Amino acid sequence: MDIDDILAEVSGDGSPPETRDLQELTRAWVTERSAPELLPWPSDLMDRVLGRIHQQIEVVEEQVGNVDPKTNFRLIIIQTELERFKYLVRSFLRTRMAKIDQYTLYMLSNPTQTARLSACELQYANSHQTLLEAHYRSSFLSQFPTSLQRLDDTAGGISMIEQPDPDAAVFVRALRNIEEPVVIEGTDTDFQMRRGDVYVVRWSAVQEHVLSGDAELI
Amino acid sequence: MYGDLGLKLVQHAKRTQALAHLPPYQTELVRAVTREVRDLDKDVSNVLAPFEGSFNPSAEPAVACNVLVDHLCMRRNKRCLLAYHRVRSDKLEELCWKGHDVLDNDSVPSGRQDGRGEGSGMGSDSGNQSSLSPEEEEYVRNYSDMLAAYKGQWTDIDLTGSLDPPRDLFIDVRVLKDAGEIQTEYGAINLSKNSQFYVRQGDVERLIAQGYLQKLS
Repeated sequence: MDIDDILAEVSGDGSPPETRDLQELTRAWVTERSAPELLPWPSDLMDRVLGRIHQQIEVVEEQVGNVDPKTNFRLIIIQTELERFKYLVRSFLRTRMAKIDQYTLYMLSNPTQTARLSACELQYANSHQTLLEAHYRSSFLSQFPTSLQRLDDTAGGISMIEQPDPDAAVFVRALRNIEEPVVIEGTDTDFQMRRGDVYVVRWSAVQEHVLSGDAELI
Repeated sequence: MYGDLGLKLVQHAKRTQALAHLPPYQTELVRAVTREVRDLDKDVSNVLAPFEGSFNPSAEPAVACNVLVDHLCMRRNKRCLLAYHRVRSDKLEELCWKGHDVLDNDSVPSGRQDGRGEGSGMGSDSGNQSSLSPEEEEYVRNYSDMLAAYKGQWTDIDLTGSLDPPRDLFIDVRVLKDAGEIQTEYGAINLSKNSQFYVRQGDVERLIAQGYLQKLS
């Protein structure tokens, strides 16, 4: 498949919704893996994908033990596909969890970031943070002077809250022509992104285009 | 000197990152650094006591400098302690994810140092101190519980499964340790040592992770 084919499929409505979901899932996975910060949770997409995975598992469970070679072969194909889907979803979730673990305090203290977590993830972030805090406290913090016991201290020149780096470099490809030139903050560089163009730029410069679906990370 | 112990702790943390297992918890060092912080804090209050709350830094630059150095040292020590514990807890979490039973297995590496095999079982526990601090054991227990609960919401996906993209549905495996009989969709397989099987990857993934089976390419 050529890049142009892939690009054509993005705008084309010819493909069935299942194929488009796979494409969306793959894209969400790639984007999540390359973006420095956590992206919004694609709840509709995930509901659909998880629902379908569940359906297929049921199909497999129903037909297992069938000795007819034809069904058996079909079953193997379904299972292989299932494994691949499960891998995508698993890797996607684990990537998100890795980011959540790294930037927990930042996400929990920032409403826009908190809104990007799914309900389970929010619960995980909260309980993990509580556990960590209890662990630090019982290990040594409780014996500290009270003024030094906080974990989200920003005084003293160094903030204790770790944040993702918005200026990290990402590879980005434009999926549609972007009319306004992309301006890189703090420099006098700007450029026009045409469909199919690939750039290496700071995440902060293209963030909104990626979130709106005009561009994708690669 | 100020901060020396903190540095040692960070060096330990750095070393831990490169190791496969978890080295013993530095109880003494942690305690010493905490003590240093308390001493520094006491020092600060002693220095500031004569001023009775009306301390003016620009009037007494020497005292101000003293207090500032103490404060910076305390903060640095805190950062060292946090870094040390974070590295260790990250490591522990990683082990939880891999499905190792951390609380049982941690006696294995120290058992080897004594020249006793890991198979010696019972004896190695009593002779060796666990490499986890009691607080860490507590943390691991809680984290595993939380992980189990979180995983329970994703039963279809098996979150702890392999993060390598799947290539084939079926793979060749060799049995390294007796693992008894397992049930698969295609019937029961008896995994006895040194035998070889062609099985579904999803069925044996956990056994591979636990070291019972070896994947043949």
